Amino acid sequence: MPAIQLEHVLHRYGSTVALRDLSLTVQEGEVFSLLGHNGAGKTTTVRIINGLLAPASGTVSVFGMSPLVDGSMIRRRTAVLTESPTLDDRLTAGETLRAFAEMYDVASKDVRPRTDALLEEFGIADRRDDRVGGFSRGMKQRLSLARSLVHDPDLLFLDEPTAGLDPSATQQLHQTVRNLARTRGRTVVLCTHNLVEAQALSDRVAVLGGGSLLALGTPAELAQRMSPRLEVSIEVDPAQYDTASTTISAVDGLTVAAERAGVLRVSGIARDRVPELNARLVGAGVSVFRLEPHEPSLTDAYFALQQANGSKGGQ
Amino acid sequence: MNTRIISAIVRKDLRVVRRSRALMTPLIVLPVLLMIVFPTVFTFLPRMFGGARTAFQEMFQNLPDPVKKQFGEFTEATWINVVHTQMLAPLMLLVPFMVANVIAADGFAGERERKTLEPLLYTPATDLELFVAKLLAAWIPAVLIAFVGAFVYAVIVNVVAWPIMQRVFFPNPTWVVMVLWMAPAFAALGLAGMLLVSLRVRGMQEATQLGGLFVLPVIALVVGEVRGAVLLGPWKAIAIGLLVWAIAGALLAFGVKRFRRTTLVGKL
Repeated sequence: MPAIQLEHVLHRYGSTVALRDLSLTVQEGEVFSLLGHNGAGKTTTVRIINGLLAPASGTVSVFGMSPLVDGSMIRRRTAVLTESPTLDDRLTAGETLRAFAEMYDVASKDVRPRTDALLEEFGIADRRDDRVGGFSRGMKQRLSLARSLVHDPDLLFLDEPTAGLDPSATQQLHQTVRNLARTRGRTVVLCTHNLVEAQALSDRVAVLGGGSLLALGTPAELAQRMSPRLEVSIEVDPAQYDTASTTISAVDGLTVAAERAGVLRVSGIARDRVPELNARLVGAGVSVFRLEPHEPSLTDAYFALQQANGSKGGQ
Repeated sequence: MNTRIISAIVRKDLRVVRRSRALMTPLIVLPVLLMIVFPTVFTFLPRMFGGARTAFQEMFQNLPDPVKKQFGEFTEATWINVVHTQMLAPLMLLVPFMVANVIAADGFAGERERKTLEPLLYTPATDLELFVAKLLAAWIPAVLIAFVGAFVYAVIVNVVAWPIMQRVFFPNPTWVVMVLWMAPAFAALGLAGMLLVSLRVRGMQEATQLGGLFVLPVIALVVGEVRGAVLLGPWKAIAIGLLVWAIAGALLAFGVKRFRRTTLVGKL
């Protein structure tokens, strides 16, 4: 059974369409990213899945249940880390976790061990009895994350989880996400602008634009789909630079530029033609010291998609 | 309904209120003023200022005949009786009303303003559990403060008036009905009013300004009582309490239908 299934979901805020015919499925144990600019529909999607908003049309199923009918049951199994740390400054870290553990109906005997373990795990155990108002942004974010894990959710939504975190805390969060998904089989949905993070962590990504699903697939699939041609750096004997440049330019559709001394940058080559290019250079007597294809990234794909969507919208 | 979830929200809300100086100041000052300072000062006023005695005598003479008949000739003892059982009594109702009003404003509009409402909406609490928790978080302390304040009031009045009265004269039956029946009703009215206002506004300031309008019935009761137009007795107190309960109940029934996640999230 999929963790989340959306079919033809439409949602409006007044006359503004926030989600337009959105259909996607997230499997259990998957790390799934929702990518998109501000206003793309990410937060609306999370709210609909958790029963905070009712879609105008379409069907939503979470662990086989409807959020509007079984919202409470669903929210017992989900957690949402909101974009800004929405903590009460007047409570201490310990009180915050305890209050939410009880709201999520964590067994009384488990509350203290669970909250202690989380405070320890996120490096705030020594601030347990300090009020949150005195915490730095990074500490608040870590406490928010601890709060969202207090009931050991099956499905975790992380909205810009690393905003405000230092590199060490970011790495720890990435490790936590991997651990939740790979070791403990939990489902994680990342809502992010951080494309590098999404590429590093996600099994699949959905790119949203103007409330519509622009693309869905693994980061590699999307990158290849949107940027099927590669760039390749070729390092040759500097004395043979001109020969190499002439040989490459003779191939249809390729452009060549100097990257630095003895290194050429070739653009527009299809992946399956890279061996042929190498063979041509060797055939021309060029000594190739290094040939490095640059894989298209999710970032390239994302901007290509958004650009395509923008130009479509502008037509 | 899951009482554990409700209790967790109530305790969290009360802890948050307790730690806010801005909220605690009115919650302490008002009961102290109405339950301790007023009874003490008004008991001694005629004794402290000779001129005041004449003024109060005139005020007493202006009361409607049934009241004067009830209390007899103007003496210091009469004055004390009139002040505590007639004039100041309805003021006590301001305490549960204001306490409930202020806490409810923080629990609804304040929580939204601090952006701490959203994580609450993501908890398993149902809309009804959330609603009940928010009501209890405001109603329980309001009623407790009213009960404790009324007890303190009664003790203070009897102690300070002892040299004149020479007996335990307070509380009278009307006061008992007011404390046990009307005070909880006015607390319910205070929070029901604030709930309705909070569902419409975004900020705490807006909520307290508009929610405060619901205090008008209390003020009307105080004025009516002082001018002798209402003349509360036990049965009238029961009837007015019933009316306030009915209004508060109707407002809460109206509010519970609108207290939906899907509505609240739109105001985040």
